[in-house]
Amino acid sequence: MTMTESPPTEAAESTEPAGAVPGGLYDVLTTSDHKAIGRIWLRLGLLLLAGVAVLGVLVALEDTSADGIDVFGGANAAWQMNGLYSFSLVLLVVPALTIGLATTVVPMQVGSSNIAFPRAAAAAAWGFMVGAAIMVISVFAGGGWGALDGVSGGEADAIELTLLGMGMVASSVLLASVCLATTVLSLRTPGMGLTKTPLFAWSILVTTSVWILTLPVLIANLIVIVVDLRGGPLLFGAPEGSTMIYDQLAWILEQPAVFVLGIPVLGIIGSIVPVVAGSRHITHAGLMAAIGVAGLLAIGGWSQPAFSDQRDELLFVAFGLLAVMPVLASLALNSLPLAKAGVPPGPPPAQLLGALGAGLLLLLGAAAGALRVIDPLELIGTNADAGVGHLVAFAAVVGLAAGMWFWAPKIGGHQLSNVLGLGVMLDFMGAGLLMGAAHLLIGFDFAGGLNDAMLWVVFFGAILATLGALGVSAAARRNEGEAGDDPWVATRLSGPLPRQFQRATSSVLSPASPQKPRCSTPPKRATATREGSPHDRHRPPASTSAAASAHRPRWDTVRVGCLCDGLLRCLGAVPVASG
Amino acid sequence: MVYFGVLALYLSRRAESRELGIEWFPEGVVELGPSGWIFWTLIMSSFTVQWAVQAIQNEDRPNAYVALGLTMLFGAAVFNQMWFIVNDTGFALSASEAQFLFFVLNGTFIAFLILAVAFLFLTALRAMFGQYSPLQNDGVPAAAMFWHTVVAMYWVTWIAVYVTK
Repeated sequence: MTMTESPPTEAAESTEPAGAVPGGLYDVLTTSDHKAIGRIWLRLGLLLLAGVAVLGVLVALEDTSADGIDVFGGANAAWQMNGLYSFSLVLLVVPALTIGLATTVVPMQVGSSNIAFPRAAAAAAWGFMVGAAIMVISVFAGGGWGALDGVSGGEADAIELTLLGMGMVASSVLLASVCLATTVLSLRTPGMGLTKTPLFAWSILVTTSVWILTLPVLIANLIVIVVDLRGGPLLFGAPEGSTMIYDQLAWILEQPAVFVLGIPVLGIIGSIVPVVAGSRHITHAGLMAAIGVAGLLAIGGWSQPAFSDQRDELLFVAFGLLAVMPVLASLALNSLPLAKAGVPPGPPPAQLLGALGAGLLLLLGAAAGALRVIDPLELIGTNADAGVGHLVAFAAVVGLAAGMWFWAPKIGGHQLSNVLGLGVMLDFMGAGLLMGAAHLLIGFDFAGGLNDAMLWVVFFGAILATLGALGVSAAARRNEGEAGDDPWVATRLSGPLPRQFQRATSSVLSPASPQKPRCSTPPKRATATREGSPHDRHRPPASTSAAASAHRPRWDTVRVGCLCDGLLRCLGAVPVASG
Repeated sequence: MVYFGVLALYLSRRAESRELGIEWFPEGVVELGPSGWIFWTLIMSSFTVQWAVQAIQNEDRPNAYVALGLTMLFGAAVFNQMWFIVNDTGFALSASEAQFLFFVLNGTFIAFLILAVAFLFLTALRAMFGQYSPLQNDGVPAAAMFWHTVVAMYWVTWIAVYVTK
C-alpha cells in the first residue's frame, strides 16, 4: 500500500482510525495504532519528567546542605537518589519523550499508515513502563547502584531488582528502536529514497541505530554485575562498600554515549526552521550528513571503565573534540533559511524558540565535552561530567518540547498555547544552562566560595526545570483550537519532501481529517505524484498490467460521487454534517 | 551485541591480567577437545537449518520437519556438551575473575542457544499447523538467521576462549 497509488479510503482502512483516541482501558492496553502508542510514551515521559525535576530539586538542595540540611536521611541515601536522578534523566525521560514523538510523527513523515511491528512497539511501551516502575521502586526499597557503606544481603537483592528494571528499560528502548528504524528503512512511500527522508525521520534512524549498537553493551554490563552479585561478589558491590556498580554503568551518562540524546534535536531543528521561515534548506544532504556524523560520534559502549581506562587514548579525545563539528554545521545550515526569509513579525513561535534554544544548548554541551577531554584541564571525574550531561539532556528536553508544540496537531488534533510554550521553552533552556554551566564551573574548581554559589545556581536551575515540566503538563491539557490539515501554513514538513507526499500524508493521516475521500482533494494530485517524482524507481512502467490498474484510485468515481453529494446537500436532501 | 559486549569484557580483563603477569586459567584445565566437538556440531547444524529453509521454500514439508528436528537435536547436543565442559573444568563462580567471566560468557551463550532452539521449535510448530508457503515463509529464514548468529557467536568464542585461552 502506498500513499500515491491508493485512494485515501484504502489507506485508512488498513489501520485503526487515524488519531482515534482509545476509549476504555481495554482499548488502551490492546491498541496497535502508532499515534495511540506514541501518546502512551509521551504521557509516560512527561510524568517521568515531572518526577525527575522534583527529584532534581531535592538532590540539589541536599548538595547545598553545608548548613546541615539532610533531605534524604544519610549520605548513602543521598548518593542513591543522585544516581536515580542521573539514570532517570538519561535512560527514562529523554528516551520516552523521543520514542513517543517519533512513534507518532515518523510513520506520517515517511508516508506509512502505521509503525513497523506495531504490537512490538506497544509491548515496548508497556515493558518500559514496568521496567521504569521496578527501577524507581527498588531504589526506594534499598536498592540502587551499590552502597557507600557496604552491600548487605538485603540490599544486594534490591540492587539486583534495580538492575533488572534497568535491563527491562534498555530492552524496551531497543525494541522500540527496532520498530522505528524498520519504519524508516522499509516503510517509506515509493519515490522517497533514503536521501529524501525528512530530517526528523532521518535523525530517528540515526538515534535508534546508535541505541541498537550501544544499549546491548549496557545490558551485557548488567548481566555481568547481576551474576557477580549472585555468585560473589567478586568484581562489583564488594561488602566493604563500593561505588563500582555505578562507576561501571556511568559511561551511559557521559560522553560520548550521552550525545545520542541530542541527535533528534538536530532533526527537530531541521524540520521546524524551514516551515517557520517558509524557505527551503540550502542542502538537505549536508544536514543529513551532519546528523549521521553526530550519530557516529555518539557510539559510546567502548568507553566503559571495564575496558581499562580508555579516557587517555586518542580516540576518546578525538570523539570529544569532533562532536562539536556536526552540531555547529547543522546550526549553520539551519540558520541560512532563517537569514534568507527572516522571522515573521510578532511573538516568536514557541517551537522556533525551542528549536534554536535546544541547538544552542547542544552546541554548549558539545563544547563543554570538548573541554572535558582536554587532559591538562583535569575535568574528567569531576562535576564537569554532570555539566555536559545536563546541557545535552536539557537540549534534548527543550528540542522535544519544541517538537511537541510543532507537531501537536498531529499528536492530539489541536494546537498548544504559544504563550505557555514560550514560557516552557525559556524554563527548560534556563534550567539546562544554569545547571550545565554551574556544574562545569564546579568541575574547574576555581574557588570554594564560587563552588558553593554554583550549587545554589544548580538548585535554581532545578526549580526552573520543575516549572517547565508543570508548564508542559498544563499546556497539554489546554485546547487552543482545532488544527486544520495544514496548521502552520507550510508547504512542506521538511526540506525536500515533495509537496505531494506531505499533502498525501496530511490528508490521509491527519487527526482532523475525515476518513472518507474528500471532495476538496484534487484528484490529479496522486497522478502528479507518480508522474512528478524523478526519484520514483519503484513505479511500474506506463503499460502496467490490468491487475495493477485495478488498484489505482478511481478518481472519476470519487469526483462524480462528490458532485452528486454536493448537489444533494444543496437541495437539502442530505443533512450537512457538522464540522 | 549483548553477547559480544560480555565477550569484550572478558577479553579486556584477560589482557589486563596478562599484562600484570597473572595466570588466567590454570594449565590444562580448559581443554580444546570438547569445545571442538561443539564447534563441529554447530557447523553441521548450520547445514541442517539451511536445509529446512530450502525445503520450506520448495513446499517439501517432510524434509523441512526432518531438518528442523535435526537442528534442534544438534542444539540439545551442544547444550549437553557445554554442560560437560562447565562441569569438567571444576570452576567455581567466585573463585577468580577468570573463572567468573568464563561462567558468565558460557552462561550467556547457553541462554542464546536456548532462545534459538525455542525459536526453531515455534517455527516448526507453525509449519506443522500449515503456515508458511513458498511465497510466504519469512519465519523460517528468520529462525535460520538467528541460528547462524548463534553459530557465529560460538565460533568467535571458541577462538577467543578455547584456542587462544
